[in-house]
Amino acid sequence: MNTTGHKSMVPSGTLSRRDFVRDAGACTLAGSALILGVACFERGQQPAGRLETNIADFMKAPRTRHSLPGPLPGRVVKIKDPGSLVEDRFDAAVISRMVEKGICGLTGRDQAESFKLFFDRNDVVGIKVNPTGAPVISTRLELVDAVAAWLCRNGIPAQNIVIWDRFDYELTDAGFTRARFQGMQVEGLQTMDQKGNRWRDANGVHISAGNFDRNVYYRVKGLDGKSVREYPDDDSYLNQNVFNDDCSYFGKLITRRLTKIINLGTYKNTGSGIAMATKNMGYGSICNTARLHDPLFFTVCTEVLAAPVIRDKLVLNITDGIRGQYDGGPYGNAQFIYPNHSLYFATDPFALDMVCHREMADKRKEVGRPMNEHPRYTEYLRYAESLGLGIADTKKIEFERIEA
Amino acid sequence: MKRLVIFWALAGAPLYGRAKSPGPELLPPNGFLQMWDRAAPARVFAASDLYGFIDGGAELYLEFGFEQLAVQRYGQRTRNAGGTGTQGQVQLEIYRMTDPTAATGIYLANCGKETPDPSFRERHTISSFQLRFKRDRYYVIANNLDGDKKCVPQMLEFGKYVASRLPPDAPVEALKMLPRANLVKDSLRLIRGPYALQAIYTLGEGDVLQLGRKVTAVAGSYETPGGRYTLILVDYPNAAAAGVAFDYLRRNLDSYLKVVDKSEKALVFRDYDGKYGRMSYAGARLSISVHLPQKPSIN
Repeated sequence: MNTTGHKSMVPSGTLSRRDFVRDAGACTLAGSALILGVACFERGQQPAGRLETNIADFMKAPRTRHSLPGPLPGRVVKIKDPGSLVEDRFDAAVISRMVEKGICGLTGRDQAESFKLFFDRNDVVGIKVNPTGAPVISTRLELVDAVAAWLCRNGIPAQNIVIWDRFDYELTDAGFTRARFQGMQVEGLQTMDQKGNRWRDANGVHISAGNFDRNVYYRVKGLDGKSVREYPDDDSYLNQNVFNDDCSYFGKLITRRLTKIINLGTYKNTGSGIAMATKNMGYGSICNTARLHDPLFFTVCTEVLAAPVIRDKLVLNITDGIRGQYDGGPYGNAQFIYPNHSLYFATDPFALDMVCHREMADKRKEVGRPMNEHPRYTEYLRYAESLGLGIADTKKIEFERIEA
Repeated sequence: MKRLVIFWALAGAPLYGRAKSPGPELLPPNGFLQMWDRAAPARVFAASDLYGFIDGGAELYLEFGFEQLAVQRYGQRTRNAGGTGTQGQVQLEIYRMTDPTAATGIYLANCGKETPDPSFRERHTISSFQLRFKRDRYYVIANNLDGDKKCVPQMLEFGKYVASRLPPDAPVEALKMLPRANLVKDSLRLIRGPYALQAIYTLGEGDVLQLGRKVTAVAGSYETPGGRYTLILVDYPNAAAAGVAFDYLRRNLDSYLKVVDKSEKALVFRDYDGKYGRMSYAGARLSISVHLPQKPSIN
């Protein structure tokens, strides 16, 4: 990775020989795969052998000035401040300063000018949080406070800020309530009944079905939710997934109300990959996701973000790495929690995830946890680059580390 | 997603050995330690429900062999003048797996570097947030939801209460397979399918070791002067099954692994990281070494 620095920065990281060999190897093997007939892809094409999706329809839509990867492709800024988390206590004032420094560090502009780069005062801004794993590893409320304060200072009315995630009860469990965030909106795209018998309305339809836009969807042809392993019947699947056809519908909140999105993912793993910026958006914006896990797990993190309703609205990504979790994710597992004291900023979520994946791999090796560094766990990021959605090539990523 | 609510036992679940179906007797009652009350009714998850509630995380439990999850949240009585409300919160999760190997497998996958408390005799690890332990076919987590260090001794008491009501622990034969010399502490893992294997290495798609959630493999890392490598051993029911598994693995080897040498019962490959692997079988045992810094001999 290219790294930059100035007087307040710690020594910059570099792309290690090991990284270089691995990336070069992945490229070579992807090329070899053409001959071997295994999954690989050319620019703008789906990886061969994958299920047929409607990614081509997404790619036909004209781009806007806000389309991914945004104005700063491949640029990632990390702000580290040990004062942000001391003896398991989060310091809101320190986190607020980190947000200010991170935004300005990313754009090279002051806060007001940074705001104008992404928003205007008429925007309805969705703040996508990740409540899964609370209280151990969910998006910190203090971070949301700081981001919302920045928006409000620059003219966005509080009522035009919507804190959202897919499941309403997870938001509540993690502390994202209207009482806590007064004046703002807090919304889950759907509910799910824990008892399994109160999720249908009088007509037998899921009570959250109306929250999803039947005209805007991620389709995987022939892959429906009716035979997903581990679900005993359609009812249990529908309870959690709302629909069980071969489409995952986007929330109406995203398709109709939000004009911009800020993505506040958390810094954690999922198996040998990560569940940070792109997974937070990919699986948090649609319903009927369980059918996607097995065949298209990480591909979803690229292709859902290619949908114009995300691609053209997602203007800023901040990964909450004040605390990190290097194993046991995506759920909170205190055994693998550590104070990372960092926030990561990017307009390009794919470059951001590549940087964080590398860091996570290094952390796991540092503590002696098994780390499967197979290229498949970052293939979706290279796929995104082939679609022009972001930068995954570590030689092109500009990674700046700033330490308070 | 895993909701922080409470689950409790469903009737009619299959029993294993001497183990009892999880019931109220495993859960500390109201007034536990004179300060903890149940915060809500307890509920349970059967295997068929777990996937829906641990979205993206249930697979490993199901792969090892999962039967029921019971979860109970407790609230601590306040000491204020009014005597109302609660302060600390502890959530108890009791996973009943299909057998002791399954419980050990899920424990090893989740325990990390163990930091035990000398007063608790079960195999466990404890931090200010969680106590995790296994006994017999049970895997138990006590979550200190606020992370308040003052609650750590009480978390231990929750653990001791549950442990005292579980059947005696049982040995896990698979753990005896690996040689002990130079074995890296905390690197032991059990494997019954692709989800557990992927944390260690990618050998191919799906259940490439043909474990079928029944056969248990064991993995561990070893320190050598040349570097660290990982050894995976599988004992199949018989030599024929091992041969079939070896053949399947050879034919379905991951496309990123380049075969550099092979014989009838062995194969050497080079991986995406420039390191080497070797797999072979003899009798009913399949042996796989990965992350080898130097190219090994085929023999």
